[in-house]
Amino acid sequence: MVRIADREFYWREGMTVADLLEELGDPYPYAMVRVSGRLISRPNFDQAAVPNNSEVFLIPLISGG
Amino acid sequence: MPEVKVKEIKTLSYARPVIQRGYANQTLHVDLSDSKISIKPVSDKIKEIFVGGKGFDLWLLWNAVQGHTRWNDPENALCIACGPLGGTPIYPGSGKSIVTSLSPTTNSVMDSNVGGYFGPYLKFSGFDALEIQGKTEVPTVILIDGINQQVRILEMNGLPEDAHGISETLTNHFSEGRPRNISVVCTGSGAKNTLIGCLNFSWYDQRRSRSRLKQAGRGGLGTVFADKGLKAIVARWDTVTVALNNPADGAVLKKVAKLHSQEIVEQDPKQNQMSMVGTAHLVTIMNDFDLLPTHNFRYGRHPQAPNMGMEVYRLIFDKGYDGCWIGCTLACSHGVKDFVPSTGPYRGSKIFVDGPEYETIAGCGSNLGVFDPFHVIEMNFYCDTYGLDAISVGTSIAFAMECFEAGLIGEEHTGGMDLSFGNRASSLDLLHQMAKGEGFGKIVGQGVRRMKEIFSKEYGADRAILEDIGMEAKGLEFSEYMSKESLAQQGGYGLALKGPQHDEAWLIFVDMVHNFMPSFEQKAEALHWFPLFRTWFGLCGLCKLPWNDIVPADNKLTPEPAKVMQHVKWYAEYFSAVTGRRIGPDDMITMSERVYNFQRIFCLKMGFGRREHDAIPYRAMGPVTVEEYESRSDRYDQQLQDVYQVDIEGKDTAEKVKMLRKRREERYEQLKDAVYDRRGWTMTGIPTLDTVRRLGIDFPEVLEVLKVHGVA
Repeated sequence: MVRIADREFYWREGMTVADLLEELGDPYPYAMVRVSGRLISRPNFDQAAVPNNSEVFLIPLISGG
Repeated sequence: MPEVKVKEIKTLSYARPVIQRGYANQTLHVDLSDSKISIKPVSDKIKEIFVGGKGFDLWLLWNAVQGHTRWNDPENALCIACGPLGGTPIYPGSGKSIVTSLSPTTNSVMDSNVGGYFGPYLKFSGFDALEIQGKTEVPTVILIDGINQQVRILEMNGLPEDAHGISETLTNHFSEGRPRNISVVCTGSGAKNTLIGCLNFSWYDQRRSRSRLKQAGRGGLGTVFADKGLKAIVARWDTVTVALNNPADGAVLKKVAKLHSQEIVEQDPKQNQMSMVGTAHLVTIMNDFDLLPTHNFRYGRHPQAPNMGMEVYRLIFDKGYDGCWIGCTLACSHGVKDFVPSTGPYRGSKIFVDGPEYETIAGCGSNLGVFDPFHVIEMNFYCDTYGLDAISVGTSIAFAMECFEAGLIGEEHTGGMDLSFGNRASSLDLLHQMAKGEGFGKIVGQGVRRMKEIFSKEYGADRAILEDIGMEAKGLEFSEYMSKESLAQQGGYGLALKGPQHDEAWLIFVDMVHNFMPSFEQKAEALHWFPLFRTWFGLCGLCKLPWNDIVPADNKLTPEPAKVMQHVKWYAEYFSAVTGRRIGPDDMITMSERVYNFQRIFCLKMGFGRREHDAIPYRAMGPVTVEEYESRSDRYDQQLQDVYQVDIEGKDTAEKVKMLRKRREERYEQLKDAVYDRRGWTMTGIPTLDTVRRLGIDFPEVLEVLKVHGVA
């Protein structure tokens, strides 16, 4: 299982952040997510694996500095 | 503790006014030349037009200087203000001070905001703003003692030279056993030997039993401070409560403050975790998106950048509450305990370092080609204690390093120092030299604009390449974001009134990463709205981080997520609740627009503030060198072909660099046109008569400045 806020998703071997976001179906252009405490940026969504039993936070980063 | 000898120069006893709806309704003027202390009333008209904070500062400064005044003339004023919302202990980020003066690096109007307790303590002592003019030959401390209702000018001999020593000594000296009652403003030994001096503002950390420091870094305000002969300004105040601001509607204030505070407590752990890592969370994000400046802004990414990312600093930062104002739930002012520098006067001593924040990590780390978190911490500490702006230090050294590697300068100029990128020892040596005003560090400490002059005129370096790679505009060094691939951020830097600092408009993510504003008109609208909204924080005494660094969970569902309108509405309620002046989100923009346009005209008064002054170096727009182009050739080739419809078949890289440059420079000029039009300015970058009349800033002296510049 992978948890995002109050929703749970079935985990599968080789699941990436990009796979998870596709399954989530949220059109917002997230730039960052945190997977089990680790920050992952959009350029790495295709390669970054989501471990089983992860808690994923979608980070709506719009600012800095 | 050093033995300090105190001699009374002048004391003014006064009756402290009760704060009315966020205002003390008076300002404090100190003239160091004749040791005169006076109090000026603040009229309702001035409150209506200028609001407070930066607005009050600018009005005081405008009246203090003439168009011919230079930064080191006695009449130049150093102004520090809080704002009507400043000092509220229950609303996150409500302890900011704003400092303005004429800058030694830009020769124009500079403003810089800073945390710490000084601004609120100044107001609670009875003054919405402090204005200091004149100069003195003796080491001088101004004490604003709100408890005893006295302003004192003191000669104090025997004070330390560095900011940490000054802050600690004066906190102990004036605290009468309650160090939290003291906030000290000071600089350090480097400010008088460079043009990039910063100001340190203290807040007392009860848990760690020490004075902590925040910096008003930009534009050499510390150098102005040192040039006036000031050692420190001390504010003394007692317990802080919500009631001190005497808000018009305390119940609404408490309600909205609770909403915002709680949201941060709930959302920060899920979002940026600023209460744990501060702005250090940005390092790896910027690196992943090719936006982290490395090697003097040549590149935006480096494989070693994660060495100094948030996960590293999470381990290094001392745990505990780090709010630079009382009650702030964002609490992002982290620090490093028991750090032991390897160089300089503190070599081998255990010290506490305030920071580093993102800007210092990028400026004194990646931009120098150094990816060592402990090097950054050491640079951070010495910048603060020497009173030097860590951003300008980083960008200036990065420029010198590129010049060295490119052969534009050599060891005969650097005093035998190897200044190639990645040389951490040389960067620290330079910093110590800057502080002493010695060696090549004395030249680097003049900032990028003056280095360009010296390198070309005295060392024979090619002026054109220096102009392209020297990362300054208006005389101010760039802060630490890559703007090459974001036209909106190029405007955010180039069209900023004081120079390329991100506190006007940080648009990289919404432009480049999210592509929320694909058209010129949308970018122009953003370059109208965002600088104005961010100006509003400076008018009110607020930190902008709670606005959009942590956002509501459902913010993405709103029509304009970049504006975080839920928070904007809360801020409007907050202002209304404190001041009793009912406003909505649109009013906030109009309030800022008055001050923003006034500041632009002030720049004009000082000989700047026209279209040509909004120029930026080509390094901020695109690849200067063949090497830069080829490092991202797929991106640039594709743009030339797909966006600009250019046939690149058979062209070598040098030709493609030229073709891309021509088009990117044209785009930047088109952006200026669109932004000036949106702002109600002429195409020469000057507010029109209609604009100043609409905003109610058509004072006779304003109209006179416009007339001189052909706007009548």
